Amino acid sequence: MAERAVLGVHRGRQGGAGPGAHPSIGGRRRSLADRIGERGLYLLSLAAASLSVVIAGGLVAKVLAEAWPALSAFGLDFLTTSAWDPVHGRFGAAAFLFGTAVSSFGALLIATPLSILIALFLSELSPRRSRGPIAALIELLAGIPSVILGLWGILVLGPVMRDTIEPALHDTLGSIPVLGNLFGPDYSIVGMLPAIVILTIMTVPIVSSLMREIFATVPAATKEGALALGATRWEMIRTVVLPHARPGMVGAVILGLGRAVGEAIAVTQVIGGTEGIRANLFLPSDTLASRIAGQYQGATSDLQIASIAYLGAILLALALLSNGVARLWVRDAAGAAA
Amino acid sequence: MIRRRLVAVVAAAAVVAMTAAACGTSDASSTGSGGGSGPLTGAGSTFIAPLMSKWQSDYASRTGVTVTYGAIGSGGGIEQITHRTVDFGASDAPLTPDQLKAAKGVIQLPWSLGAVVPAYNLKGVPDHIKLTGPVLAAIYLGTIKTWNDPAITKLNPGIRLPATKITPVYRTDGSGDTYAFTDYLSKVSPAWKSKVGVGTQVRFPAGVGADGSSGVAGAVTSTNGAIGYLTIAYVTSSHLHYALLRNAAGRYPEATVEAINAAAATARSVPPGGVSITDPPASAPKAWPDATFTYVILPKKTPKAAALKRFVNYALGPGQSFANDLGYGTLPPRVVADDKRALQQVHG
Repeated sequence: MAERAVLGVHRGRQGGAGPGAHPSIGGRRRSLADRIGERGLYLLSLAAASLSVVIAGGLVAKVLAEAWPALSAFGLDFLTTSAWDPVHGRFGAAAFLFGTAVSSFGALLIATPLSILIALFLSELSPRRSRGPIAALIELLAGIPSVILGLWGILVLGPVMRDTIEPALHDTLGSIPVLGNLFGPDYSIVGMLPAIVILTIMTVPIVSSLMREIFATVPAATKEGALALGATRWEMIRTVVLPHARPGMVGAVILGLGRAVGEAIAVTQVIGGTEGIRANLFLPSDTLASRIAGQYQGATSDLQIASIAYLGAILLALALLSNGVARLWVRDAAGAAA
Repeated sequence: MIRRRLVAVVAAAAVVAMTAAACGTSDASSTGSGGGSGPLTGAGSTFIAPLMSKWQSDYASRTGVTVTYGAIGSGGGIEQITHRTVDFGASDAPLTPDQLKAAKGVIQLPWSLGAVVPAYNLKGVPDHIKLTGPVLAAIYLGTIKTWNDPAITKLNPGIRLPATKITPVYRTDGSGDTYAFTDYLSKVSPAWKSKVGVGTQVRFPAGVGADGSSGVAGAVTSTNGAIGYLTIAYVTSSHLHYALLRNAAGRYPEATVEAINAAAATARSVPPGGVSITDPPASAPKAWPDATFTYVILPKKTPKAAALKRFVNYALGPGQSFANDLGYGTLPPRVVADDKRALQQVHG
């Protein structure tokens, strides 16, 4: 049962097709062609599966080998040092870890509720005829090349941020104790907040379309049952749709996180590339991926190349970690749902 | 202007895609022809790109040889020639010792030159305000914070400078512009030299970072009070203002071709490690203080030696005639002679 919920999307569809879709062949003696086909399919899929393992393994090995000079020079201090000085050969990832965490978390903080609302609207609330066009428009956002989005970030979003949005945020939220430090009082056209906004724009199409698919797997009979028992639309969504979809929703958010953590080019353009760790969201910062994209090609020393590879290794480790956490989480949620 | 930038970015993306495709073919063709008249591929500096496109069409009509060039940035050019995925690389900064070692047997020859200027955007203030190197360094060190700082107003009598905050803008990617700029600041400011130093990538203590020339121009254009370093051609085409810099002779020349040439004339010879013409001596009163050479990087041993030598000889000779119209300086005869001598090291 748990497995069925994890694979929500596919199982749900297949369930709709019914067991009649698979003609039973178990009883009959298989022909030679069938057996060769069976064997061939097995070998092909085995090769494909092992290929992905080999590629992933090779990737990890290559990144670690490239990063080795920095690993041996800085060790784990690399993670807690905030320095990036190619001229004097001092490197550390702390500021980029901070920037990556804040920008991705910030983007998901906005993108998750937005995506849930969009997906609910498209799958449950909107008139059937308008769903296709709206969904297509949202997915169109995902097709914008990130370099164009980044340029828009500097030329259009940046000035609006600095002149209107950031002062407004400072005036309304800046006086809250502790939390107010996030908002001002210095404004800038490039910085953490523009990066968060750009990442939100990039993650919403993915997360919302995944969630829409997930909501579509909720059996119509169950939803109708809830409505027939006198539930309102909202009660139906709260008691039937959301609990059924929860594991898949967590998966969708984790995929969005992957997108946000890994996005490089657009972030490089709008985040402002500095190494400081500062509370003010309006000031420039930098992320792991953005630093790799910005400096790998022009790296001036072997140690710098190794340090950039070290950043890549951290990014890989983060990807593995978030994937692992997501799997555990989805399994737990699925268990709870069952 | 915004639209033009977008077009430029799209065009750059297309060029990168084309180079990538061209790289695939260059390996195949380099094994085939014995260095005859096959096509040449190069990649690197965006600074040389406008001149290169003139060279490409002119060279093709003279000799029938196609030269493909990907303006992917100096760092990318160094990377590609190191892995020999192109026939030549182009970089605005000479290779560092580590890069030279990694590239195994390459030579770098200056083949054009230009000026890096501090562009600014300051509402109500005219073009060509005056700055000195140490003041510019202090701005980028974050010690001069506003435009009406006495250090700046003193240099600009008669101009009302506002109390606007200065936002220094720098390149976050590896850049020849950054190299020329930091090379200049290191020569004129001991504080800069000790705290920051010279390089295509350095740790800027103040300001905001932007990606590529288009990023810097974009940030300067959209920020009142911003200052950013760009090549003169980029500043002219983006209709930005730029500050005049005091040279060693105490003059404030504009960054014209003559001013670039005057700086270049101070280059005595071209050592293998590259040559710096920033902060030229007072004996060159017309010289722009932040002029810089841009380099072609050639493998010493290559099956395309003959074709490469022919093309570089063209670029050093007839190719120079296009330079001035595009805002580049003219290579001094002494540098051309040194280049031609060094070019003999390239063999099959």
